[in-house]
Amino acid sequence: MTELQRLRDAFRTALDLPADATVDDLRYQDNEKWDSLAHMSLVATIEDEFSVMIDTDDVIGMSSFDEAVRILGKYGVDVK
Amino acid sequence: MNLLHPDARVIDAATGESLTPALIDEAAAALAGESLVFMPMETTVAAVARYLAALRLGKPVVLLDPDADHSRLIERYTTTDLHPDLALMLTTSGSTGDPKLVRLSASAVRANAEQVAESLGITSDDVAITTLPLFYSYGLSVLHSHLLRGATVVLERTGIMQKDFWTAVNEHRVTSMAFVPYQYEMLRRLRFDPAKYPSVRTLTQAGGRLRAELVTDFAGRMASAGGRLFVMYGQTEAAPRMACLPPDRIADKLGSAGLAMPGGAFVIEDDEVVYRGPNVMMGYAENAADLARGDDLGGVLHTGDLGRIDDEGFLFITGRIKRMGKVFGVRINLDDVEKHFPVAAVAGDDKLHVFAENITADEARALRTKIAEWLGSHFTGVDVRIIEVLPLLPNGKTDYRALEASL
Repeated sequence: MTELQRLRDAFRTALDLPADATVDDLRYQDNEKWDSLAHMSLVATIEDEFSVMIDTDDVIGMSSFDEAVRILGKYGVDVK
Repeated sequence: MNLLHPDARVIDAATGESLTPALIDEAAAALAGESLVFMPMETTVAAVARYLAALRLGKPVVLLDPDADHSRLIERYTTTDLHPDLALMLTTSGSTGDPKLVRLSASAVRANAEQVAESLGITSDDVAITTLPLFYSYGLSVLHSHLLRGATVVLERTGIMQKDFWTAVNEHRVTSMAFVPYQYEMLRRLRFDPAKYPSVRTLTQAGGRLRAELVTDFAGRMASAGGRLFVMYGQTEAAPRMACLPPDRIADKLGSAGLAMPGGAFVIEDDEVVYRGPNVMMGYAENAADLARGDDLGGVLHTGDLGRIDDEGFLFITGRIKRMGKVFGVRINLDDVEKHFPVAAVAGDDKLHVFAENITADEARALRTKIAEWLGSHFTGVDVRIIEVLPLLPNGKTDYRALEASL
């Protein structure tokens, strides 16, 4: 599985979305399921999936799928 | 009742708006025609002004979640026959099926504001920030105890997962924050470092048991920055806080809910924790006629919690008499869950675990959403597990211990 597929799956798992849901355009609090609690589960899922430890500012700053891609890049995960 | 010390301030972090005596006077004038006030309680200056106006006028207030539909509740409780001591009513549970109200007198509300202020040493130099909804008893008591001592309360509608919240903490030099267990899990995830927020001196924890590892962790983080963590124990029925664990005893009394707050006392009766104090509710209300009732309890609250008290008076909670759980600090009756859904329910730490026999993953996800909606809670607080066959005891009842052990 590619990094991109893994990240999409992490979003679907954490936000409790169906396996075929489109997640690439998701933004924090635009989607009704992505609130502060789901955000915590999302960060946990991403950390586990990619074996990274995300810094506080990046946890707070992860405001969209695109931002998650960018932030993961900082931790050496090239999502494409 | 006037809870507002003349020095107290309420500020909206996003808009800069402040509470003024004129705003409370205006709100009071607008309440002229009402005898009982149903109030969807938002975290805004206008809502706080209206709430304080109702308290000052002695008009009983029912505080409600502004995001939920309460038409049935309002219909059920509308009356003009109100007991003169009645000041504040709160709902007890997130589940929409059981809109039972807790009836609190003005003296109980005030007594608890005093007890909390005393236990935490709140002064007019303190600045609290809203971290919990104001219709929720713990969040409301943050407001009460700070207003009483002339402190500042910053109204912030975002949460700890958002940058605006932490910006407001530093901008307003917040000294005190109140959290329930799941927020401590979040703070750990955020690697909360009190050194980055040097004005913060006090964290409080209530709304359910925080696991010992996190108590130790956050007590340590605060101590290293010269601050303190207060572990507290309460119920909406006690307006709401009853016990406080002094920060210097956290290490040697780990797992304790603390000592009874000033003016209160605990005894254990048949393993049940019974509290006596000036902050105990008048009783429950289940219909409009109950709003005319006086004090049914005489200051004695049977908490429904099982516990023990050690030789120094420290309370330790060991379980619940009824099958109860807590999700995000809100009480849930596990038997009610099972009445509404074909599952076996057990309580985890701030989480509801349900076991369903032979369903698909899609059905499990749908069930999770449905249960969370029914509870009025968040789906991450509900964990659905698929099981082939539920374990049974020899008497044919569900073996909950086996289910708990499998978590």
